[in-house]
This record gives sequence, structure tokens and C-alpha cells, in this order.
Amino acid sequence: MRTLKHLFTMLLMLCSLTAAIAQKRNRIMMLRGHIMLIVDINTSKTEIDSLLKVGGVTGQTADMLLHGNYKPAIKDGWNVKAKKNIIKLDRSLSDTGQNTQITPYLLSSNVYKNNSRAGYPADVAYGVNNFSRVTVHELPSGLTRFFVPGNTQVKRVQLSGNFNNWSTIKGNMNRTDSGWVYDMRLEAGKYYYKLIIGGNWTADTYNNLTEDDGLGNTNSVYYRYNYTFRLAGYPSARKVSVTGTFNKGAEIPMRLKDGLWEGQLYLHDGNYLYRFMVNGSPITDPANKLTQKQNNVLNSVLLMGENITFKLNGYTNARKVYVTGGFSNWDADMLPLTKTATGWVLPYTISAGNYQYKFIVDGQWITDPANPHQISTDGKTNSFLVVRPNRTFTLKGYSAAHTVRLTGDFINWNEQGYTLEHRGDEWTISLRLKPGKYLYKFLIDGNWILDPGNKQWEQNQFGTGNSVLWIE
Amino acid sequence: MCKSGIMIGGINLKTLELGDSDPYGDFKVLTVPIKRAGNLIIVEAQIDSLVGNFVLDTGAPYLVLNATYFRDLPKINEQDAGGINGRTGGTFTAVVHNFSLGFDLHYDRLIADVTDLSGIENSKKIKILGLLGTRVFAKLAITIDLSKNLLYIHKLDKQGEILSAERVFDKPDVKTTFKYMNDVIFIKGNVSDKSIWFAFDTGAETNMLDFHVSKKIIKSLQVINRNNVVGVGGTSYEIIYAHFDKLIIGDYPFISNRVLVSNLENIGKAYGYTVDGILGYDFFARGIFTINFAKKEFEMYIYNHQ
Repeated sequence: MRTLKHLFTMLLMLCSLTAAIAQKRNRIMMLRGHIMLIVDINTSKTEIDSLLKVGGVTGQTADMLLHGNYKPAIKDGWNVKAKKNIIKLDRSLSDTGQNTQITPYLLSSNVYKNNSRAGYPADVAYGVNNFSRVTVHELPSGLTRFFVPGNTQVKRVQLSGNFNNWSTIKGNMNRTDSGWVYDMRLEAGKYYYKLIIGGNWTADTYNNLTEDDGLGNTNSVYYRYNYTFRLAGYPSARKVSVTGTFNKGAEIPMRLKDGLWEGQLYLHDGNYLYRFMVNGSPITDPANKLTQKQNNVLNSVLLMGENITFKLNGYTNARKVYVTGGFSNWDADMLPLTKTATGWVLPYTISAGNYQYKFIVDGQWITDPANPHQISTDGKTNSFLVVRPNRTFTLKGYSAAHTVRLTGDFINWNEQGYTLEHRGDEWTISLRLKPGKYLYKFLIDGNWILDPGNKQWEQNQFGTGNSVLWIE
Repeated sequence: MCKSGIMIGGINLKTLELGDSDPYGDFKVLTVPIKRAGNLIIVEAQIDSLVGNFVLDTGAPYLVLNATYFRDLPKINEQDAGGINGRTGGTFTAVVHNFSLGFDLHYDRLIADVTDLSGIENSKKIKILGLLGTRVFAKLAITIDLSKNLLYIHKLDKQGEILSAERVFDKPDVKTTFKYMNDVIFIKGNVSDKSIWFAFDTGAETNMLDFHVSKKIIKSLQVINRNNVVGVGGTSYEIIYAHFDKLIIGDYPFISNRVLVSNLENIGKAYGYTVDGILGYDFFARGIFTINFAKKEFEMYIYNHQ
């Protein structure tokens, strides 16, 4: 009986072989509880390689296969048989890896992973709004008002956007005689939003700026402004605009308002060169003393960001001191410090973020002796600076600890992590983190612990848990 | 295996008088805006003052809460790992009070499992408070229109029908009854002239087929690719992506189907019934669909006829 069964299997396989030979092409198929790759050695290496890739045969290349080296496939669990010009790889469907996922969502969410957060705008250098009727504007109080004209007969109107994590509950607008309003505090930046009118999603029809999220959704775009270019004089000019490195030379029109030409926009932190165009002729900003030549053209300079003063005490005998770091792309001689009576100093403007840096004293790279925050990667230790932090991590107690470090998925679980500062009876560090989910732990003299001040944690593969933090 | 509706996680609800309370709210039909995370359907709900995202998951029997945010709820029963619902260690049963779906549907009391849902959060990159399983809608009907991102929640008349004025579509292309066992929806389908039982699961981001279904079906699949995937818990398993031409549900032929072939034994154990396959996103994204839990009827209005 058993021999018969074998014979039958053999016959079947022979049949499939002859079929493959007849077709002279590579195939992958499932048959009798097995998955099989039929490789015709007369096909091109590219075709064979793509078949091996489709079959997920780890480590095996067409080149090896054609030279009779089947080791990677065999190691990966495949039976390999060669006959004439056919090489057959097969494996049982049931002998590899029991699927321990006990719910469909675990199985499929493991396959479909989102790399980015749809509906959350990426950083842009600048932005200007474009409304056919202004439905979003800033109030004197600093709040931003969203307005939906009409629709007063519906039960409710909601505002949903990345600013409230696309909530369908939280952004309940208030009914007025002429429509619906909602006021909220927004930081300068780019926002996506939609309206939910009587339960139905809709873009803001009065807002001409929309973006497709790539998944079939069209979102309205609003820029919360943070800068106004102003030019006095030229009352009879036909056209005044501003052009700069932030918009790659494109022109943003300015409007005459109370005797001043004005151009409002959202501008991301950074260092920019710009000029005004008056009736098509470029001029520098007469109200700005900071200028810089680029390609022999004089430009005005605009520094957007936080004013930071780098200070190094002592080293008064040194000839040259520079600061270098992530904010200067580690350019070693871009940012020289000026000598004072007691040391060296450099005021500089940096955009919000987390930065590593070092001083270079006559060619010697040193960490900032006045900064307790350091980070080590690949055996190199740098000083660590955070501009406009939005999260402070605090660990109370542990006063006998030698070092306390913070590490997490945001630095690939680097065991050196960020060094916390010991102040009073607690250890702290502040960071600037983008919106999203973060997993982290503290390392106390090498011992991993969950954050005792945070109740939210999730299990990890070691069974020891990770603290969970959402930045919203 | 215990009978549904009486025992949950080893607790006899009748003796404890602890079953889910009936939903209430002043409506005939509710229009609830939904969101999407990958192929998942997200609905916002509120527990006491906590508002957040829930996955609409007909593959879950009832309300399931994410342990990250609900670990401190009082336990009414600790579950063994791989217990009745096959969930991970540390899973327990709790009672939730003051649960609201959208603005207008309220529950005074719901039984919930509290378990680790970090896998979904990390893969979808959105905060997930829990899963809305079938029992949440047990006395209602729901219609989902993915093209408009809307969920309709219907109250039913005494015959268990949606009020005719509140129907979202009149002439369904697909109409079939389903079996409702252990709070899972099972729909009969046909692939390669073989009849098989699918679980209907809005939490499945793709259709799935078990390795062990009829050899005739397996043979008819065109392999797209094969992969080893590392799952939650670190164990690796095999999945095969395949394509097949025709899937018949309720006499309607769905043409050109994608399916993930894997070992679904453990998923079957969690359902309490062996399952040949799972109808997921590739299926339910084809049209507006209604699930009537009272009449145990599934209807679909196809977006694009082929």
C-alpha cells in the first residue's frame, strides 16, 4: 500500500515535471500539501532569481543553483531534486513554523505594516493659505478660529484633523446664527483637516488648498502663520513680492496694508536668504541689517528658531575654538567662537530639535564640560542639546545610582542612551519628540526598569515590558 | 467549549447577573464617521471620560480592551494563556460601565477582555484603546460604506428588520444568511466548486485560507509569493500570498481574489470552531455591506460590477 502511494506520488510529480518541460518556463505552485518551485535551467538567471524571491528561498541565488549548490535552499528547509534541465524545490506546507497568531488581526496586521502615519503632514519649509472665502483665521487672542458657514439645520458639525488626532468626537463645533465655529490653539505649522457635517466627512469647500493622502482621501490644508515680511515705502509700486531660499526663488506676493507691503506665511525654523521684488527689481530688506552674499548677489538674512549661546569657559590660551554638531552637519570650521576675558562664546539660532555637538579647541574635539547631558553611540560620546523640548522624562529617587540613562525605540534601544541629569531627588532629561508612539525604559547603572511614573506599558519579547508614551 | 452567552472566560454570567446591558439611544439609524488605519476600520468610542480609537472587529466576540490603558480595571476573572479566546498571558475579564459609541449609542455595562493589543498599535501607528466585537452590536444591524467612511447603526423592528425608510441600499447584489456561533459570523462560500465556511472578520486586513482546505482548492491557487513572517511573541511562521479567480458568496461571483494562505488552526481554536477561511478586507471592500445580527443576514451592494 505504502509503495503504491509512493508510486502514485512519483507519477504525479513526473507529470508535473513533464508539464513544466513542455512549457519550458519556471513555475511556482501548490500541490498535494506541498509548495513547489519548478526551475527550468534554460531560462535566464534573472527569471530564476525572481522565482526564488517569490518562493522566499532565503540565501539561494540562481547562480548557485545552476552550479549545483543547493545548500542555502536545503538549510532553509527545501528538498531539492535535479533531473535533466529541471531543478525542483519543494517543501511541505505544514512542516514549517506553526502559525501561533491566534487572531486574524494579528496575522494580517503583521503583514500590512504602515511605514508612515497617513493624515499627518511632513515638515515643509513654508506655506501660504489659499481660501476662496476665509473660513480659518487667527483671533487677537492667539487662538485659531475655524468657521463653517450655514448648515445650521444639521444636528452637529465637527472639526477633525491631525491637530486632534482626527478625532470624530472631540472637535464638536458651536452653532451660531450664521454657521459653526471652533476655536483652538495651534502652534505654527502645517495642518490637515476635514469637517464632519451631520456625520458625513467633507473637505472645507472654501479652502482651495487640498492634498490627497494617497489612500483616496482629500484633506484640506491650513498653515498657521508665524512670520510677516514687511516693506515700508513704494506706495505706488504695481507689484511687490518676496523670494528666498525657503521657496527656492518662487515669489510670494505681498499686499499693501496701512502703507506697508506685507506678506504673511508659515516658515519652518531655519536660516534663510531673501530679497524683495519691487516691480520685478530685487532689493534687500532695508529694515534688516543682516546680509550675506551668495553668487555675488547681496541677500537679506533671516534666522528662524531659538537663540542659543554656546559658551566654553577657560581655554583662554587656545588659538581657535569651534562648535560643531547636527545643527551644522558636523562642519568643523563653520561656527567659530569669539574669545572673551574668561572663555569663548557664540550666539547662534537653531531650529527645534535634538542635537549632538562638540567643541573643537585647536583641533581637539571635546564635549561641553558645562553640559551634564551626553549621548554615546558607537563608542563616541557627544554633548546633547535640546531646542524647544516638548517632553521631560523624570525618575524620582535612585539617589545612590551612578548613572541613569534613557533609551528607547527612538534611538534604536542604544544601551548608552541619553544620560539624565541628577537634580534634587530626581533624574531628568527633556527631549523634543515628533507626534507618535514611543517605547522606552530607564537604565540604572545597567539595570533596565520601566518608568515607575508612567502606568502605561506594553509587553515586549523578553517579558519585561516597555513603557509607552504617545506624543500628540 | 462552553455555550456562548452564558459563560465568558469561565464565569457564569447568569449566576453573576453580569451580561452585557442592552444598548440605548434616541435614534432609528445613527451615522457614525469612521476612520481607516491600513485596512482596518476605526470607530471612536468613549469609556467614562476616556475617548479613543477602537477597531471594528467582527472577528472578536465582544469588547476587547488594550491592556496598556486598561490594566488597572478590576478583574472579575483571570484567563489562562490561550484560554477560551486564545489570548496571550495576562488576559483578564472586566466589566466596563458607561460605554458610548459615537455620541448617541450608550451601554451601561459591557463585559470586556483586557489583553495586549500592542501589535496592532505598532503596526498601524495609531493609538488603539480596544476592539469592538460582534456582541456590542448583537441586537442591532450595522452597515459600512468604506467609500464614504461611514458606519450606520440601525435599530430593528420587532421582526428584526431594518426600518425600510432607513435602509442605506434597497437591492442588495449579495444576500445570504450566516451562522452565528461563539459570537463569530460564519458565511458559506464556494471556491473551485468546493463549498467552504468562512469566518467574516472586519479585523482581517486580507482574505485568508487554511493550508488544510481541500486539495482541489489549494491546487487552483496561483502563488504570488511566499514569506516567513515573525509574529508577536517572536515565533516565525509561513504565509503564502495567492490569487484565485472566482469566489461565490450568496450566489454572487466575486472575480479576481487575493488570499493569504497560512495555518489557521490556532485561529480556529480561538473561534471554537475550525475555520476553512476568513473573509477580510479584500472581500468587504467590494461594496457597502450590512450585517443584521438579529436576522443573521449579510447583504452587500457592490460598488463596481465586474
